[in-house]
Amino acid sequence: MIMNEWIVYLLFAAGMFFLGLYCLLTMRNLIKLFIGIEIIGKGVSLVLLSTGLARKSILLAQSLVVTYIVLEVSLVAVALAVIINLYRANQSLDIRSLTRLKG
Amino acid sequence: MTFQIILLAAMIAASAFAVLARDLLKAAVALAVSSLILGVIFFRMGAPYAGVFEISVVAGLITVLFMLTIALTKQGDDVRESKTVKIAFPLFFLVFALIDIFIMRGILAKVPALEGAAEAGTFGEVLWKERSFDLIGQLAVILAGVLSVLALFRKRDRHDHE
Repeated sequence: MIMNEWIVYLLFAAGMFFLGLYCLLTMRNLIKLFIGIEIIGKGVSLVLLSTGLARKSILLAQSLVVTYIVLEVSLVAVALAVIINLYRANQSLDIRSLTRLKG
Repeated sequence: MTFQIILLAAMIAASAFAVLARDLLKAAVALAVSSLILGVIFFRMGAPYAGVFEISVVAGLITVLFMLTIALTKQGDDVRESKTVKIAFPLFFLVFALIDIFIMRGILAKVPALEGAAEAGTFGEVLWKERSFDLIGQLAVILAGVLSVLALFRKRDRHDHE
């Protein structure tokens, strides 16, 4: 019974991962790309917690997810600061405008 | 379990809207809705602390940060995405869903059941006693984040112009 539930959670978490990957591969707006990374992170935390549920160690999984969320906040703050600085330098959020960085 | 599946499907739908929406503000709001639903799912899975953190921090704080960035980069709104992205999305999603279901049924059903390790104590005890090293790592990452944001937004002094 628990096993089936675990597989359902994994199925949907893989769906979240696919959505984020699709966004990362196809979009050109920097903020949109970062939304893709966020969606992948949601899928990963769903996998963590559902595995904890299947293994009956939900407290450990929960503390790992809380740690991940705290780290995610500082990741978001730094990444958005980088995006704002890139926008000031290029006057554009297009990822293709960054190709002039290549040597 | 049925209600849980409905919530998971709604989360996927909100995330798909966040990916495909042309307006960045709508995308950020859809992301907030998605993490709100994820918080409810966590709560129903028996993880209230993770749910509370997901709703308050991810759906609240990160959405505010996203909206601030979108407001500060207003002219960058008109990045042209290629049009085939939206047209090809249902096809790719269908193919992916088929592969996903086949793999989950075929391979993962044969994975031996995870051995259960019954836990004792409360969430606070597990977090503070078993994972105390993680807390040091959290502190280090927060400090690094604060320092790097300060470095990214520092005022230019005269040496930069020379």
